[in-house]
Amino acid sequence: MTLLDVDSIYKSYDEEEVLEDVSFGLDQQDVEVIVGPSGSGKSTLLRCMNRLTEIDSGEIYLNDDEIHDLDENELRRRVGMVFQGSNLFAHLTAQKNITLGLREVLGMPAAEAQAKAMEYLRQVGLEDQAESYPAELSGGQKQRVGIARALAMEPELILFDEPTSALDPELIGEVLTVMRDLAEEGMTMLVVTHEMDFARSVATRLMFLDDGRIVERGPPEQLFEDPREDRTEQFLGELADIY
Amino acid sequence: MEAIVLQSNDWAFILANWEQFALGTAVTILLTITSLVVGFVAGFPAGAIEVYAPGWLRKPVSAAGVILRGTPIVVLIVLFFFALPIPQLGTFIIIDAKVDAFIVATIALGLRSAAYQAQVFRGAIQSIDEGQMEAARSVGLSKFQAIRHVIFPQAIRRSVPGFQNEFTIVLKDTSIAFAIGLAELLTRAEQLYLQPGHDTAVVEVIVTISVIYFVLTFATNRALDRLEQRYAVPEGSG
Repeated sequence: MTLLDVDSIYKSYDEEEVLEDVSFGLDQQDVEVIVGPSGSGKSTLLRCMNRLTEIDSGEIYLNDDEIHDLDENELRRRVGMVFQGSNLFAHLTAQKNITLGLREVLGMPAAEAQAKAMEYLRQVGLEDQAESYPAELSGGQKQRVGIARALAMEPELILFDEPTSALDPELIGEVLTVMRDLAEEGMTMLVVTHEMDFARSVATRLMFLDDGRIVERGPPEQLFEDPREDRTEQFLGELADIY
Repeated sequence: MEAIVLQSNDWAFILANWEQFALGTAVTILLTITSLVVGFVAGFPAGAIEVYAPGWLRKPVSAAGVILRGTPIVVLIVLFFFALPIPQLGTFIIIDAKVDAFIVATIALGLRSAAYQAQVFRGAIQSIDEGQMEAARSVGLSKFQAIRHVIFPQAIRRSVPGFQNEFTIVLKDTSIAFAIGLAELLTRAEQLYLQPGHDTAVVEVIVTISVIYFVLTFATNRALDRLEQRYAVPEGSG
């Protein structure tokens, strides 16, 4: 079942081409990891999926709905996003970070929203932090609340924009574990990350993006062991040296 | 310079006229409150407009702020007193202050405060990390919902120190209503020492009202500090 179908999208800022003729598709339960040098268009590509960034041309279908025909709030309810710097609502507790969307977007009654928030906090192992404010949480905990916040809306797809890049090394594991569990439960995920162990063990496919174009895309083992393009081999080799 | 020698009979004169100080203080407090309310009701939306509104609305609001902030408050109050078509409306009971002068003072102090409160609020809104809006929109909140539930609550908290400052300024600047003869604290003080035979009491009278102004600003600032602590949220990066 095709869940996401991206068809020849283009995006440029001030005449600088950021995305050029990018096309790919995701099936339900796919986990696709996007890698590429900085400035290659990874974040932009991700942000086009929930229209935080608007494309110049092309088409994107989410379960057969062209996303530009959808109301943008409706689209964003259906496509969750987890940010590099969690972006938790700083004035709200962990639980209220989750209930805000449930209450205001889905119109859920307070008691039901609270119960649901607790359910998702439990899923990311933070039910005992429900009353904590973001400033009282560690970076890893914040990211897990951010994931719970996205999950609670029961999206069809979740976008992860470098969810561990801003974390201290010892906090990365707990976030990746939650993401791995999600993948196992069948969540469809589009993940920008440099965590190659995660890509190798969890991703169904790996996409190498460079200069706004998909250079190569395929099962992770193929890209790691037998890349078709020299650029892919070179970049993944450099990543392996760093991480 | 006999006038600046603090004489005991001058203090007795002040005590005997305690009612004038009490009434003046009441007018000062009332005028502070009405001006701050006008300042908030006009300044809060003006601050939001300066951040979010399209040019046709933002530009005139912003220009009005520039003019109000660039004009001395005494000039504003005198201008409004003579330029605004406010009829004679008699006097308030008990506090015995002219209604028309009170309204003019409220408009002048209120609009001037609005111009500053708008800047406080605008700065607070702009200090909120962009990621907060993006995260709110990503959950599916509309821009309006995001502003209301995510941006404003944080911006208002960050505005408290600025509002506190504004409170002190407005309270002290109510004394400018002296220029249009409103019977607030300074005006009544002047009426006391201008009484025949009491010119020696100038310093005592002015010291007395200074103490009253100080107590008022100090006490309210303390109260606002408490309020701020009570509604504080642990700060730090979200």
